[in-house]
Amino acid sequence: MSPRPPSIAGRLARALGAWTLLWGAAVGLAIWLAATHEVDELLDDTLASSAELLVAVLREHGDAEGTPLPDAAIRRFAWQLVDADGRVRLRSPRAPQAAWREGGAAGLATVPGWRVYGLATGREGRMLYAAQSLGERQEARLEVALAAIAAAVAVGLLGHFWLRAHLRDELQPLQRLSMRLHAWDPGAAAPPLGAPERAELAPFHAAIDLLAARLAARLANERAFAAHAAHALRTPLAGIDAQLAVALRETDGAVAERLQRVRGAAARLQAVVAALLALFRSGDGAAALQRRALDLRSLLGRLPGLPLAVAVSGGATLDADPDLLLAALVNLLDNAARAGAAHATLQVEADALTLHDDGPGVPTARREALRAALADADNQGGAPLGLGLLLAARVARVHGGALSLPEVERGFAVRLQLGPGPGVPGGGALEPAR
Amino acid sequence: MRLLLLEDDMLLGEGLRDWLAGEGHVVDWCRSLGEASAMQGEPFDALLVDWQLPDGSGLDRLAERVQGLDGGADDYLVKPFAPEELAARLRAVLRRAGGGADDRWRHGAVTVDLAARAALHDGAPVELTAREWAVLEALVRRAGRLVTRPELERLVLGFESELASNAIEVHVSALRRKLGRTLIETVRGLGYRVARA
Repeated sequence: MSPRPPSIAGRLARALGAWTLLWGAAVGLAIWLAATHEVDELLDDTLASSAELLVAVLREHGDAEGTPLPDAAIRRFAWQLVDADGRVRLRSPRAPQAAWREGGAAGLATVPGWRVYGLATGREGRMLYAAQSLGERQEARLEVALAAIAAAVAVGLLGHFWLRAHLRDELQPLQRLSMRLHAWDPGAAAPPLGAPERAELAPFHAAIDLLAARLAARLANERAFAAHAAHALRTPLAGIDAQLAVALRETDGAVAERLQRVRGAAARLQAVVAALLALFRSGDGAAALQRRALDLRSLLGRLPGLPLAVAVSGGATLDADPDLLLAALVNLLDNAARAGAAHATLQVEADALTLHDDGPGVPTARREALRAALADADNQGGAPLGLGLLLAARVARVHGGALSLPEVERGFAVRLQLGPGPGVPGGGALEPAR
Repeated sequence: MRLLLLEDDMLLGEGLRDWLAGEGHVVDWCRSLGEASAMQGEPFDALLVDWQLPDGSGLDRLAERVQGLDGGADDYLVKPFAPEELAARLRAVLRRAGGGADDRWRHGAVTVDLAARAALHDGAPVELTAREWAVLEALVRRAGRLVTRPELERLVLGFESELASNAIEVHVSALRRKLGRTLIETVRGLGYRVARA
């Protein structure tokens, strides 16, 4: 069994998935870089504003120890009021006891664990330092970046699933085309594909139409050849029979008996050739089926010199194509005679015929092999069906039925189940005499 | 009956001609439409035509030339077929052509069974030669109608047969001797006639 080829939908889905991850990562990185920069600027501005606010408060309320300060500043920031000599005069609860910076350094700076903004208070060289811990700033950056990345990935995933659903919809026309092709009978005039549902499928439709046209031309040629072959084979066969009939009428004794056997063989040959030509002419035979009520005894009367004694039981009448049924019977009876049977019974039902002979039968393993071969509709697997069973199976099939091998206690049995007679078309155009 | 057989295959044509002749029919066998053209105007009871001939379609061309065929066939057989089946189908076609009339023709003590190809006198079979039967059948199939002597000659003896000038009279006399003098009426100077059944 050949490995399953890759799926277009699967490959595209995987490509979409990879694209979504890549897109999410790229967008996330870009957002991370932008957010870090913008958040830093925003926090620095906030730090400077807070320092200015604190200085204004100190100027308003004095800078003696114990001066009350705004709650918000205490929660978000830490601060120190540092004397000119570097002593921390006042500080917020989170601020360290040692000064962040000394020597009256103003402006933004990063010291271990803090981001500090220094602002002169304008009184005795004191400096106000407002600070924010680096950990808090990092946390702010991270929250902004993660939220942005999550939004990017969510948009990517939504796009991914939407595209997958859309892809499934877009592949539906291909699936419908496959189903129509699957149901197409190559013997029909044209494949029932309809108009292309997508522009990309138009070349495919055109190729199939071209293939169908070639196939139709090939079938027409082969059927024309079969018609010529039919004429070429049928006429000499009829001539042989007519000459043998005349010779039989003009002869008697042992020669007549010999001629009778030859005529019987010729009749069986005629039946097989007629059936093969009918099957070949119509492709699978169904179109040329000329089904009508048949009397089995009369039908067998067309076969002089049967190779074994045949008894007909049951209704004796069934609905079938006479040429095809006769050919099937000829081959099955020949098979039975070759296998050593001396008698055979034909059990006739309305739409079935069972041939049961008194030969030695076949071993179970062989019967199972034959059944398996019959299940292979076209016997393409080199299964062990001879011409007799193969032809009979085809005859049953073109009648809408099947050939089976029933279990019997003695001998060998073959059952031709034919399709229902009523409602089945009488079979194509009337075949003219040739 | 007089039959025109149009068949190009030698083996089949010869076999059918001999088989049908053995059945008591008069058979003119042609192998092409050209040969059949020479038969125009001949009185045939039936035409046996092969669909495909070397110089055209047998049915199409003969439909133009033979009055009464109306461009169609009464029956057909698909080759290969047994000559027995052809003969049986031929009898059925002729029976239908005769309006489905009874195969038995009766006149007085004489009964002619066309299907069984037998003549009975007072219920007893009468042995007839092939030619005698052909004369009797030709007249019975045209019962009530005058059959001219040339027409009867062509019906009984075919197109190419050599014929003694008094052959028909000899066969008519034999029939009268075996089946009764009133069976066949002579229309002096014109031909013969049997009464309707």
